[in-house]
Amino acid sequence: MIGALADSYTYVLFAILMVVGLYMVAASANLVKKVVGLNMFQTGIFLFFVTTAYVDNGSSPVIPAEAAAGDRYASPLPQVIVLTAIVVGVALTAVSLALIVRIYDEYGTLNEATLREVRTDE
Amino acid sequence: MSELFAAALFVFVLVTAVTTALLRDVLAVVVVFAAYSLGMALFYAFLLAPDVAMTEAAIGAGVTTLLLLLTLTKTNRTRPDRWIEGVDLPALAVFAALLIVLVVTLLNSIPAVGDPGAAWNNPGVTQYYIENAYDDTGVENAVTAVLAGYRGFDTFGEAVVVFAAGISSLIVLRQVVFTRE
Repeated sequence: MIGALADSYTYVLFAILMVVGLYMVAASANLVKKVVGLNMFQTGIFLFFVTTAYVDNGSSPVIPAEAAAGDRYASPLPQVIVLTAIVVGVALTAVSLALIVRIYDEYGTLNEATLREVRTDE
Repeated sequence: MSELFAAALFVFVLVTAVTTALLRDVLAVVVVFAAYSLGMALFYAFLLAPDVAMTEAAIGAGVTTLLLLLTLTKTNRTRPDRWIEGVDLPALAVFAALLIVLVVTLLNSIPAVGDPGAAWNNPGVTQYYIENAYDDTGVENAVTAVLAGYRGFDTFGEAVVVFAAGISSLIVLRQVVFTRE
């Protein structure tokens, strides 16, 4: 069991980060904390992708022109997907934070429960 | 040595993640989350992904933290009565069960970290990029070659997403007002 854990420690970390992020989205009353949780969820998935690219005793995918045939490199494809996803993730964060600022201007609170009360009173 | 480094990173990321979830003060959450992002950047660098690590350090730890802090300055932060957030027990039970299911499934079905024979290490596709990236594009960094060369249209689409996000943020914040003439 311990050996299996040591063999796949990044997958375990991926599962933990994903679940902690989801917990923050579901259980936090504060809207900003929900966005932070969403970001943590994302980085967990990025860790999964980067791990699938990783090879033991390899090197990063910078391949010199005179590369030997037997050299091992990390796969560039998952890394490219993660690069794109990081940038799209920050765009998502920007829009959700803009919405949060507007919600605060309109209702004067960022607490989910208070927000619900204020909205039913209207 | 590298095992020790990996273990230290694992513990650092885990502790900062759990602290982020447990702290009550939003400013403290943002600061600890920035430290977490930096730990993740180190982890990506350790896993042979320097490009991802640089992007995460600049965008995850930099831009995201900046955006979160800007949001905090535009909203009122109430001084919290206590440091630690109360734990939502039903949610915790559901997500703990989810975590156990995930970890058991992963441990039973996934090849070891860094196993060169893993099924998704599809040699036909991966080896093609590794062998031909330099000849096709003249760039030694295969990640750059794929990002800007082979998948250039994808990156263009990403730029469109960022543009759309910028425009919609401005509209939501009423920095741009459309008037009917």
